[in-house]
Amino acid sequence: MIEGPILPLLSLVWPLLLGVVASLPPMQARAISLLPLAPLPALAAAWAGVRGETVVPDLLLGAVLSAGAEGALLFGMTAVLWFAAGIYALVYLRDTRRPAVFAGFWCLTFAGNLGVFVAADVATFYVSFAAVSLAAYALVVADGTDEALRAGRIYLVLAVLGEACLLLGLILGAGAAGSLSLPEVRAALVGEPVAAVLLIVAFGVKVGLVPLHVWLPLAHPAAPTPASAVLSGAIVKAGVIGFILLVPEVPWLVPAGLATAFLGAVLGLTQRHPKAILGYSTVSQMGLIVALLGAGDAGPAAYHAMHHGLAKGALFLSVGLVAAAAGRWRWLALGTVALAAMSVAGVPLTGGALAKAAGKGALEPWAATAVTVSGATTTLILGWFLLCLARQPGKGRPSLLLTVPTLALALAAIVVPWWLWQGWTGLPADYPLHADTVWSSAWPVGLGLAVLALVALRPVSHVPAGDIVIWVERTVRDLRHWFLRTALERSGKVRAPRPRAGRAGVVAEVAERRLLRWGWSGTAMVLAALAIAGTLLG
Amino acid sequence: MTALLPLLILMTSAVPAVITFFLAEDSHRLRNTLNLAGAVLKLALIVFMLREVAAGTVYETRLNFAPGLYLLLRADALSLLFLTLSAFLWLLTTVYAIAYFEKEHDLSRFFGFFSLCVAATTGIALSGTLISFFIFYELLTLSTWPLVVHKQDDKSLAAGRSYLSYALPGSAVLLIAIIWLESATGPLEFAMPHPLGGLEEASLRAIFALFILGLGVKAALVPLHGWLPGAMAAPAPVSALLHAVAVVKAGAFGIVRVIYDVFGIGLVAQLGVGLPLAMLASVTIIWGSIRALQQTEVKKRLAFSTVSQVSYIILGAALAGPYAVIGGLVHLVHQGLMKITLFFCAGIYQERAGITRIEDLGGIGPRMPWTSVAFSLGAMGMIGLPPMAGFITKLYLGIGAIEAGAPWVVAVLAGSTLLNAAYFLPLLYRIWFLPGNEDLPVAPAPGLVVPAAVTAAAALGAGLFAGAAMSPLGWATLIVTREYMP
Repeated sequence: MIEGPILPLLSLVWPLLLGVVASLPPMQARAISLLPLAPLPALAAAWAGVRGETVVPDLLLGAVLSAGAEGALLFGMTAVLWFAAGIYALVYLRDTRRPAVFAGFWCLTFAGNLGVFVAADVATFYVSFAAVSLAAYALVVADGTDEALRAGRIYLVLAVLGEACLLLGLILGAGAAGSLSLPEVRAALVGEPVAAVLLIVAFGVKVGLVPLHVWLPLAHPAAPTPASAVLSGAIVKAGVIGFILLVPEVPWLVPAGLATAFLGAVLGLTQRHPKAILGYSTVSQMGLIVALLGAGDAGPAAYHAMHHGLAKGALFLSVGLVAAAAGRWRWLALGTVALAAMSVAGVPLTGGALAKAAGKGALEPWAATAVTVSGATTTLILGWFLLCLARQPGKGRPSLLLTVPTLALALAAIVVPWWLWQGWTGLPADYPLHADTVWSSAWPVGLGLAVLALVALRPVSHVPAGDIVIWVERTVRDLRHWFLRTALERSGKVRAPRPRAGRAGVVAEVAERRLLRWGWSGTAMVLAALAIAGTLLG
Repeated sequence: MTALLPLLILMTSAVPAVITFFLAEDSHRLRNTLNLAGAVLKLALIVFMLREVAAGTVYETRLNFAPGLYLLLRADALSLLFLTLSAFLWLLTTVYAIAYFEKEHDLSRFFGFFSLCVAATTGIALSGTLISFFIFYELLTLSTWPLVVHKQDDKSLAAGRSYLSYALPGSAVLLIAIIWLESATGPLEFAMPHPLGGLEEASLRAIFALFILGLGVKAALVPLHGWLPGAMAAPAPVSALLHAVAVVKAGAFGIVRVIYDVFGIGLVAQLGVGLPLAMLASVTIIWGSIRALQQTEVKKRLAFSTVSQVSYIILGAALAGPYAVIGGLVHLVHQGLMKITLFFCAGIYQERAGITRIEDLGGIGPRMPWTSVAFSLGAMGMIGLPPMAGFITKLYLGIGAIEAGAPWVVAVLAGSTLLNAAYFLPLLYRIWFLPGNEDLPVAPAPGLVVPAAVTAAAALGAGLFAGAAMSPLGWATLIVTREYMP
């Protein structure tokens, strides 16, 4: 039935079982208390460093679970982050609206999130990707406000678009490879530009590659804080592993990623809501990772993604922490934020500085310079985030269940990259201490801080979160109106305000009505058949 | 035993049908017991047969009426695919129908014809010759009509007229095709290789076109689909029967038989008729989806969705690569499971909450959670979201299209996926996220909800455990590897 190590499979099945348990009537009211339990087998698997293939022939199309080095690294980071967020949720989501629904979808999203890192066949990957993408919708709209529903709608449209592109890309790849195994599909994709573009769109939605980034700055503020943390820290990494597992080396991803990195940071400065700023910051950081992937640099990209997951998780969790802290607790909270922010900005000797140093080697000189300079924009946007966050009101003394996970993630973001440095990059242990390494990460931070001072004095004008999505929404509304109008008109609800609209709809409607008046045409059909028969027989 | 079993299976539906006609209107318990017992017995026999057929046994019943005129019932792997589906769904639909009607009028007539329909479907699945197929096909047409007009109001009667005005000419065309073909070749048995060399290519093409024309009416191929949305006037169990258990499936199944067991894929390829059929199926897929998007009533939207989805089966069969055929065959089962779930749920919404229009669905999810979860699963399957069964179909059809050198089909699948999402997701959004009228009464009805939950779970299981040997996918693979592409 099951061949190979059982722990990876258990890591995926266990959260699903918990999700079912959460929906049982006796557990419904206390469902949130199950959340920290979900990652336990995954943590055990990550700790034990499970190797080898798990094959379950009956599941899906013969599910194969096997993580490469990058997958295993992100698998571990994901388990840690969801664990921290789960503990945080115990307090933060104590009074949530529908605990059972939230917990159920939390577990489903988590299982999918782990699944993408260990999947080794097309069906398992697709199922996991769909689970993490689509179930996360329920986390985004958990608050049920109009704002959350709108963010959710935009998220869902892009997620479904991504799913469709992914399915097509996988079909084309599997068709070309004649196999469902991911490595073989990847190899076959080298000669399939259409499939590669489809997959880039699918994963680009997830990582927020401009212009597919619009959901991030909307979904993050709308979601409850623990959900924002896993969304930015772990869920978007499903796109990263997608690039690593399936997209062959594509040179134009380097400029596309770098453009995303700078645009994301600049757009972040136009925001006031702390979580919207962080959403743009994630867009920016994922742009850097995509640039590394475009250069064929999977190892450093995964290393960077691991660091970003931990640090960004800490930053999001800290938003709730600061809101729950007053007096000296507030200083502790803001200190934690600053710690994590420094790491993302790449202050020398932090995890972020290591992540950048690890990646530059494989880039062309101009791209490496751009990565260095991006330290300035990152400092700028995160400094702006800190300023905006500090203005938010806070009260009381935060629970330990909020403080400890946040602080632990922030520290992990700084320490874990050091711990993994040599094994992962192969560079000397003291490379991050070299004067030029330190200098190349120090001056952008200084520059960023200097510009921040200017921005703080004269803030950039506000742009609605999601920027270009406003136009897209308007266009879609018009198109929908154009298309659906005929149906409404027929039911007498709308009296043709714009007669030229809806032509395609009218044509379909009229053609259909003709067909429905086919009482007589049955006879015609028989006569036609007889005529065909007669001419050919005779 | 091997000679009797197919006949026995046919009898499990036919005998209750005949007895039910003579039952008094108020003998509810006897009628229900009889129908349920027939359905359970049938399913048990089929499960037994599945194991044997998987091991290689062939069941054959030959009934001689006159010299040269015989009825052949033969259970091969393809028969069983359709048979198992219809028997499984018949049982659930019977449970549903008993709860749906409770103590309504004319129930003996209803259940009698209902069982007769299923008997006809069984016959279609088991037919071993073209003539046997045609006889049962006609029986199905005629026994469905009283069900469509069951309510006897103007709308139902109009729907019934429309149904007959499509179905009868369709049957006539089918008969012409059969006679023309058999006049040249003699009686055709599906299991035996029969050279069609006596006919010219042009004639063969014309005969193929006639077959498609005749069978395409029931399979609701555009432009022959007009009767299906109109038939929505019938009660929910009838919709389930039309859309999932019997009628449209009979058309699609017939087309598969014609391609693989009458002409054979070699000849179909040589005649070059596969591609036009695949294109017709593609047009149907897109057209049905676009029309579904324009509907404002739940059941109408579902009806157009059927028009679109059934053509996946035909598309797969027409493309004729191994993956494509498996994808098409397996969709026979997948579409049945998913669509019957949706119709069960639409029926519950209509009966228990008085909802027929999409705009009234707001807030029904939290009030009717089981029904709405089942509906959501069915809708997700239709879109092709994993791990519901629908995604297996799409994956196989897509890979098969590339194998068969028709990559444009992948674009059709993409368009269909997006259109499906566009017409199902707003429904789910209303059901779960929009506020609704809390005062609407909601009466729980286990007899209605349980069948819907079971079919939804089956559609989930068919996707989740597609790799298992006895899953629909496993069975479709067995059919293709054993019979069509050894």
